[in-house]
Amino acid sequence: MITVVRMLARGRSRRERARGRLMAAGAAFATVLLCAAAHLTALRLDARRGALGVLTEKEPRLMVALTLALLAVPAAAFIYQVSRLATATRERRLAALRLAGATPREVRLTGAAESGWSALAGGSLGAAAYLLAALVARWSLGDVVPVRPLLWTPVVLAAVVLGGALSGLRAGRHVVASPLGVVRRARPRGPRARDLALVALGVALLAAALTGKGRFFLGGKYGAVVAIAAGAVLLLFGLVLATALLIRMAARRAGRGTSAPETLLAARMVEADPRAWARALSVVGLTVFFGSAVGAQQALTVFQSDLTAFQVASYALLYLALLTAMVTSAGALVAHQAEALLDHRRSFTVLAASGVPVPALGRVLTRQALVAALPVCVVSAVAGAGVVVLLLAELYARRPGALAVSVAGAAAMAGIGVLAAVLVARAARPILRRWVRPEELRTG
Amino acid sequence: MSIGHVLLGLLSERPKHGYELKKEHDQRLPGAKPLAYGQVYATLQRLERDGFTEVTGTAQEGGPERTVHAITEAGRTELDRWLAEIEAPAPYVASPLFARVVVATLAGGTAEEYLLRQRAAHLTRMRELTARKASGSPAQVLAADYALQHLDADLRWIETALERHTVLKGETDA
Amino acid sequence: MLEARTLRKSFGRTTALDGASVEIGEGEVVAVTGPSGSGKSTLLHCLAGIIRPEAGEVLFAGRRLDTLDEDARTRLRRENFGVVFQFGELVPELTAEENVVLPLLFGGRGRRESLQAARSWLERLDVADCAGQRPAELSGGQLQRVAVARALAAEPRVIFADEPTGALDSLAGERVMGELVGAARESRATLVVVTHDNRVAAYADREIALRDGRVVAGATAATGGTAAGTPGEAAAGGVSR
Ligand SMILES: Nc1ncnc2c1ncn2[C@@H]1O[C@H](COP(=O)(O)OP(=O)(O)OP(=O)(O)O)[C@@H](O)[C@H]1O
Ligand SMILES: [Mg+2]
Repeated sequence: MITVVRMLARGRSRRERARGRLMAAGAAFATVLLCAAAHLTALRLDARRGALGVLTEKEPRLMVALTLALLAVPAAAFIYQVSRLATATRERRLAALRLAGATPREVRLTGAAESGWSALAGGSLGAAAYLLAALVARWSLGDVVPVRPLLWTPVVLAAVVLGGALSGLRAGRHVVASPLGVVRRARPRGPRARDLALVALGVALLAAALTGKGRFFLGGKYGAVVAIAAGAVLLLFGLVLATALLIRMAARRAGRGTSAPETLLAARMVEADPRAWARALSVVGLTVFFGSAVGAQQALTVFQSDLTAFQVASYALLYLALLTAMVTSAGALVAHQAEALLDHRRSFTVLAASGVPVPALGRVLTRQALVAALPVCVVSAVAGAGVVVLLLAELYARRPGALAVSVAGAAAMAGIGVLAAVLVARAARPILRRWVRPEELRTG
Repeated sequence: MSIGHVLLGLLSERPKHGYELKKEHDQRLPGAKPLAYGQVYATLQRLERDGFTEVTGTAQEGGPERTVHAITEAGRTELDRWLAEIEAPAPYVASPLFARVVVATLAGGTAEEYLLRQRAAHLTRMRELTARKASGSPAQVLAADYALQHLDADLRWIETALERHTVLKGETDA
Repeated sequence: MLEARTLRKSFGRTTALDGASVEIGEGEVVAVTGPSGSGKSTLLHCLAGIIRPEAGEVLFAGRRLDTLDEDARTRLRRENFGVVFQFGELVPELTAEENVVLPLLFGGRGRRESLQAARSWLERLDVADCAGQRPAELSGGQLQRVAVARALAAEPRVIFADEPTGALDSLAGERVMGELVGAARESRATLVVVTHDNRVAAYADREIALRDGRVVAGATAATGGTAAGTPGEAAAGGVSR
């Protein structure tokens, strides 16, 4: 087993090593985020200091910590996406391994070991950097920064490594299924009713809690809060799961009746593998969701003349977090784009060889992004803004302009999400041009 | 293959006279060497002697009077026996093609030139047969298939022989 | 119509083409034969403007093809050539029918017209039943026939086919060859078939024999076809090696 891993490591191409480094970077980022979040909760400080209040006051600081922890979600998605990317190229090698007689378990473990190793390398780097930063903070701020939480760093590191290994384990799944599966892909898996049930359940919980006007049939006031939180979480997860279904449906619609070959090809390619797009876009969708929700909430306060420095600082921080999430999810999109290019390279090369101009193939890429990202971003934006508007319906009723502002905010967030996906696809065009050379068509 | 058995087969449909048999033979087995009338006559005599056919009368349709032959019970049994048999796979290589190549190498000359010429001739014949297949009766298509596949087998052997020849020559040159 | 002059092409250290020259007339049906690895596919791809030779010239209808830039060659391929690749090479995400329709759409034809053409070609090649299936659900032979339909549907002036009957039994192979040759004759298109099956080569007017990247027989119409049977030519082919 170990020999096999070592053999594979030696056979890794330069590109694969670059991918390993990307994964390590993601792991380092996640480690820093989680360590910082953990540390913030333990600061011994509670004072009003204007704009700095978000850090010096206890409760806002907890919110900042929570945000940092939440930011680890896109980072994790990025790591997963990159480990999938590594799998796409490793597939052939691993499938050959299967054909050569390796058991599915061994192949999975190989993948897990490779990505776990990258996560360990990156995580250690992140942890070291964080420890250094924490020590500097302690030295300059003194007792305010406690030392004990630093003990959590190894725990965070272990979690990150575990996450990396697990993502490698999962990413190797379809190679494991059948050694020939790589060559002959089965029909895409059908949509699952369970995905929609989660959405329905979340909506039902939210509706029940909201129609009760702050009271719930279980547990009264607290019950309502719990129900709202649970409903939101369920809705969120349901949305992520239903994303694949949504993308598939949108792609099917787009492919039907079109006479533009680029759209036909793009729609069918998305339809054939909606899960890959859903994975890449779920983080974008989450960002759009939160962004729209934040926008809708701020629509109520943003036109107040008595905005405090504290409020401005916290809003700025929120948007900074959203921006970070967006950038990280764009990273996941780039990784997905690379994976898709690898997957479709042969088809594109053959199409180019039979006379399809490369710019047309570039349009296929952007249309794929449009077909997949548009429904996801629109639904996320509507859901994010909708939840807040429903929750704060009374306040909205009192402020007539707020609704328009929140709608505009949601539209802007959706637009940004779609734009990110399309820009990533456009950025892939030069790579496409370089990769899809008919000369490279192996003549067999 | 025995002509006697083919004639028995043709007679199993209905009694026929000698000229009819020759005509039908040539028509139903296109591509086979056409039968000479004398050959038909001699074979029919042999079949009658062995009790496989009998003369059932004469027919006259404008032309000369002709003897009509019919298959007997014994003839049908013989035909069934023959049909149940399999053709023995050829035990010897009895192709003049093969003989020529061996003799050419024995004589110290090159078989290569001969092989290349033979190859071209074979391909030309295959081309003709393929073209004819496009507009032939089912029997003609079957016959062309038969000929094509045999020519193809010869051709493949010629190609292998050419390859080997190059290798052999390379060895002696070295 | 199509002409190649002393083409050279190597991949790393292997020389695939080593001074190959051929001349193919309009409406001619030629077979490119030779042992495995002799450069048949490479020659085909050079003639089709898919790959560029390192030396030598390729001319189509009197125009240099190898010196054109990628865009111009792409347009030329789309408008004039139909290619059947050695391994079928359908787009896995599209159904058989959509695979045939796609190049027609890219060629600027309307959806309905393209669909009609695609259906009739699938029917002619006896794979109409598979129209709605994806390549992963088709057998090797069906794949190849769909690929042939895709190449023929655009009614190209030159059809290039690399082992179009490789995965077929002899009857299905006969049908595919019948359609290929029939389509070529019908529209006076040129057909270039790579094969190492003599029975497929027998459909052609002429055989271009390759060996070690060089043409050893049938380089031009005058020396190919029936004339290939003349001893002088055959011997010359043998000696030139
Ligand atoms: N893209 C490529 N990269 C590297 N080598 C190649 C490539 N294409 C062809 N070759 C090599 O060039 C030589 C000729 O290849 P080609 O595919 O033209 O042969 P072929 O006659 O079509 O063989 P076959 O009958 O097996 O298809 C072979 O040695 C092959 O290995
Ligand atoms: Mg080839």
